[in-house]
Amino acid sequence: MGQRVRSEQGKPSSPRSDYVIEATDIVKRFGHVQALSGASLQVRPGEVLALVGDNGAGKSTLTKIICGALTPDSGRLAFWGETTTVTSIRHAQELGVETVYQDLALAPDLSVAENMFLGREPLTRGIFAGWPPSLDRKKMRQAARQAIAAAGISTLNSVDRAVRDLSGGQRQAIAVARAVMWATTAILMDEPTAALGTKQTDIVYESIRSAAARGLAVVVISHDIPKMLSLADRIAVMRQGRTVSNLPARDLTLTDVVTLMLGGHARGEAA
Amino acid sequence: MSRAAQSAPDAPPAHPGALAAALRSTPVGMAVIVVALIVLFGVLSPNGAFFRVSNLSTITLNVSVTMLLAVGITYVLAAGELDLSIGSNVVLSAVIAAEVLVSLSGTPEQVRAGEYPNLALGVVAGTIAAILAGTLFGLVNGLLVTRLRINSFIVTLGTMGIGTGLAYVASNGVNVPNVPRSLQTGFGIEKLFGVIPYPMMVVLIISAVLWYMLRRTRFGLYTLAIGSSRDAAERAGIRSRRHILVLFVMMGALAGAAAMLDLTRFATTNIGGHQTTALAAIAAVVIGGTSLFGGRATIAGSMVASLIPVILGTGLVILGVPSFYQLIVVGAILIAAVFIDQRRRERLSS
Repeated sequence: MGQRVRSEQGKPSSPRSDYVIEATDIVKRFGHVQALSGASLQVRPGEVLALVGDNGAGKSTLTKIICGALTPDSGRLAFWGETTTVTSIRHAQELGVETVYQDLALAPDLSVAENMFLGREPLTRGIFAGWPPSLDRKKMRQAARQAIAAAGISTLNSVDRAVRDLSGGQRQAIAVARAVMWATTAILMDEPTAALGTKQTDIVYESIRSAAARGLAVVVISHDIPKMLSLADRIAVMRQGRTVSNLPARDLTLTDVVTLMLGGHARGEAA
Repeated sequence: MSRAAQSAPDAPPAHPGALAAALRSTPVGMAVIVVALIVLFGVLSPNGAFFRVSNLSTITLNVSVTMLLAVGITYVLAAGELDLSIGSNVVLSAVIAAEVLVSLSGTPEQVRAGEYPNLALGVVAGTIAAILAGTLFGLVNGLLVTRLRINSFIVTLGTMGIGTGLAYVASNGVNVPNVPRSLQTGFGIEKLFGVIPYPMMVVLIISAVLWYMLRRTRFGLYTLAIGSSRDAAERAGIRSRRHILVLFVMMGALAGAAAMLDLTRFATTNIGGHQTTALAAIAAVVIGGTSLFGGRATIAGSMVASLIPVILGTGLVILGVPSFYQLIVVGAILIAAVFIDQRRRERLSS
């Protein structure tokens, strides 16, 4: 549980692949329900990939497998070309992969700074030969303030405030800022703007772009297809547990995406 | 607001609301009530009898075991769990400790005659036995809660009865005989500088350590995180089941220590007692500002609030009012304190 140093994770010195994350033929069943039947996904560093599809298409299941919350029944998962079995959320975090959950995963009674560092708190040495180690709250506050400022959240006056007292938009922004702060490889976001107003949604999209500009791969699940067409670099469409296409967003129209989601082919797409 | 109190000392000095927030915090509010009660009883009591050092020192002695348990159970509540079995843990651990202590201090003939040639050995072994028994009791609670995934209210309601039953079985329903009086005279009612009872010293030292742990360490932060949102804690990589198991074991060890303090205080196992101890400790913790549902906790609040019942009881007796009224007043304070706390929170978040 030692404090992780960011520079030690993320991109290896000589990556075997251009893809940060490469999922191939992933299969996952829940009892009799076939959630994924050979889903694949590739994303490059600095790229925003929108994952779209109808309800039940398998978007959330696929991201949960990548972030270590679920283990696949079969299929290959690779980070920088290195085949890896992700054993836990913490393992994925060690690979530099951070997740923003639909239901946020913040502890409402803890402060903003505590939430941003939960599970990875910096420690100071105690006075008796380093013992007892205690939380370095000063460092936590400073880093939290910087991360929040970097994410463009201007409405939050103190990182000591309990998350319970914040608005829905502020909470989401903090969850995103936390992921951006820790990620060194990729960020996975499941419907990050579902509960937000227009202005707050813009803040989240802004932080997605800036995370990609820093070289992170960003996978966004969203139902807001028009917005994804302008925000994302590529759009992966899922249908019935498979990825049916993964195309550059600039080549697609809203009609194309909807047609793919419903089972047809986009113009110009090889069948 | 207890959170404000927790973060107040660390807040930047320029923060204008920090002092005001500290003054409004539950532990400070409770301290004001405690001081007000002391002054009230002191002024009303004949010849200021309540103010006498001997009286105040007796109050601290009487509160020591409850305070220790209240401080311990603050952690359990902070994580969103309950432990109703601590009173019966104290009784069972005290019986086991007394049996070990008496049997190792001398032969049956010697102890019957009031002679304890190996008293030091008996006391050391008895203390270890008390803490081990309490720890084991807590381990059973923790395993039932975390492995079988049974609600902690139900588990500890069950082990409360089991513990008391085992204590009766182990002692044939009577207090363990021939517990040496010197436990009492040498420690249990002995005072540092004639003021602070030794048992209270032990409680204060343990409480200080637990206060530090809650405020300053990962262990404390993870306890609050689990109580605030178990999902959030687990997604952050915190192993919540293992943590909760540790909390129950820790609570058990503290109940074992409380059992030994009780044994030295009364020089008897108090086998019929402690039936309402768990509820009294939980009441004190909640009055002090800890949430019954986890996520918010204050050790200082628990310590201060555990004084209230004893001060009321003593004060009323000195004033010649039947001490039965203490029960009524404490019950009313519990309800009022939680109501006021709720209202304040609603105002804060609106």
